[in-house]
Amino acid sequence: MNPSSILFLLHEGYLNVRRNGLMTFAALGTVAVMLTVLGGSIWSVYRISEYAQHQPQTFNEVDAFMNTSSERDDTLAVMDRVKKLPDASVVHLVTREQAWQDITHQDPTLTESMPDDPLPDKLEIETRDAKNVQHLADLLRDKNAFPELEAVTDAGAEVRMMLAFARLVKLIGGGASLGLFIATMFIVYNTIRLTVFARRREIRIMQLVGATSWFIRIPLLLEGLFHGVVGAAVASIIVLFGGRHIAQFVEQLHSPLIGDVPTQATPLRVAACLILIGSFVGLTGSYLSIHRYLKHV
Amino acid sequence: MTSGAMIELKGVTVSYSADAPALKNADLCIERGEFVFIVGPTGAGKSTLLRLLYRGEKVTEGAISVAGYDLNTIANKDVPYFRRKIGIVFQDYGLLPNKTVWENIAFALRVTGAGRSETRRKVQDALEKVGMTHRPDALPGEISGGEQQRVAIARAIVNEPDLMLADEPTGNLDPDTSMGIVQLLKFINERGTTVLVATHDAPIVDSLQKRVVAIVDGSIVRDDERGLYRHQILAGKKGGAN
Repeated sequence: MNPSSILFLLHEGYLNVRRNGLMTFAALGTVAVMLTVLGGSIWSVYRISEYAQHQPQTFNEVDAFMNTSSERDDTLAVMDRVKKLPDASVVHLVTREQAWQDITHQDPTLTESMPDDPLPDKLEIETRDAKNVQHLADLLRDKNAFPELEAVTDAGAEVRMMLAFARLVKLIGGGASLGLFIATMFIVYNTIRLTVFARRREIRIMQLVGATSWFIRIPLLLEGLFHGVVGAAVASIIVLFGGRHIAQFVEQLHSPLIGDVPTQATPLRVAACLILIGSFVGLTGSYLSIHRYLKHV
Repeated sequence: MTSGAMIELKGVTVSYSADAPALKNADLCIERGEFVFIVGPTGAGKSTLLRLLYRGEKVTEGAISVAGYDLNTIANKDVPYFRRKIGIVFQDYGLLPNKTVWENIAFALRVTGAGRSETRRKVQDALEKVGMTHRPDALPGEISGGEQQRVAIARAIVNEPDLMLADEPTGNLDPDTSMGIVQLLKFINERGTTVLVATHDAPIVDSLQKRVVAIVDGSIVRDDERGLYRHQILAGKKGGAN
């Protein structure tokens, strides 16, 4: 194919888009709406998944309570031993006096009724990895290793629940996104088929004057690509705009569960991903639509 | 099967249903440079024959060659190249409504990969031949039926085809305009292109007195060297050739 023919085909693609204004508008609108729904779903699932993955990190703490009869020196000795454990990253001592002060500060009536400080020293231990909370807690509960400890609490159950939730979000969200992708593909295919159907006479004339299948196909593929890319660009703007507002709303909730979770879904990546999906859907949809009409030479 | 003739049919049958074939056991040979009218009433099989000749239809039985191509064995990928040797004119003109007169004619050249300067030269030449140099920028909807048919003919001849097929080219035109179109086809034939016109327009057939092939109910019933339309042959018995 010579450069003149390539320019001619590009020009034909441009004319197709321009001259079929209403069909172009309908196809673009459909692609944009479908990709907004698809993009919005993928983005939401991804973001929820990021939040869910991040949550266990807030449950990476083990609290170890000394016996009430233990002396401060015993506590400090235990603290040194705990620091040497491979799973422990930070160990913080909360003395019984601090704990008493905290409770007094929070609810003075509670401490007024108590004659003495019944609280034990407490060690707050952060694990290096949230997955190891359970393991560290089990180590500390071993009475042979740590007889000075009265009780050990951890968030192992919560961590397991959050990780299971993250997996569930990925699974259901991934399945729903796949279903939406197939639905988008089908709707775009039908929309482009309508535009091709409107031009079946033109296609027949092209065949009769000796146009090869690819010569007929290329302008229509370019048209499909245009629908996909422009539809995806519109969808990207809507998804990113909507996403920003949702993020702002979530921030306003000040929920301790949500916090400031960094995301991999940057605006550029979201737009690139949607344009890639749009291009694929537009090209595949138009190829399949045209194929039907080009079967008969 | 390929031969020196422009068109050769041997025992060709086209069937859409088993009991009523559209074309029955047709034998026909048309040499290069001939002008032939295919006549017959509506539904006789004229259009089926023409569709066969540009490979818009496949034979059910028999052998067919056109412009050196064996249409029984031609590959689908070769059909566009075969069609570039043929110019086709339809009763409804078959012009692209969104393209101007000039663009419609140029389109047939551009699909063959012709460059801009070649296209400009050949389109201008075709417009001159059909007498349409005055409206190159008009859309088909802005010109008369006769002018649209002239544009369709210009598009058909712009690739300098070996064969021109015209299916009822005067079907939508008044008698004076029809005669002008036929004179144009005769002019194209005189410049060396084989012309085949399917029609049931008796005055134009009788005025030119060229070769006439009559089809009734899918069978070739008459093949006259310099013939007339002759309604009684078409309406009545078959095989009553002169």
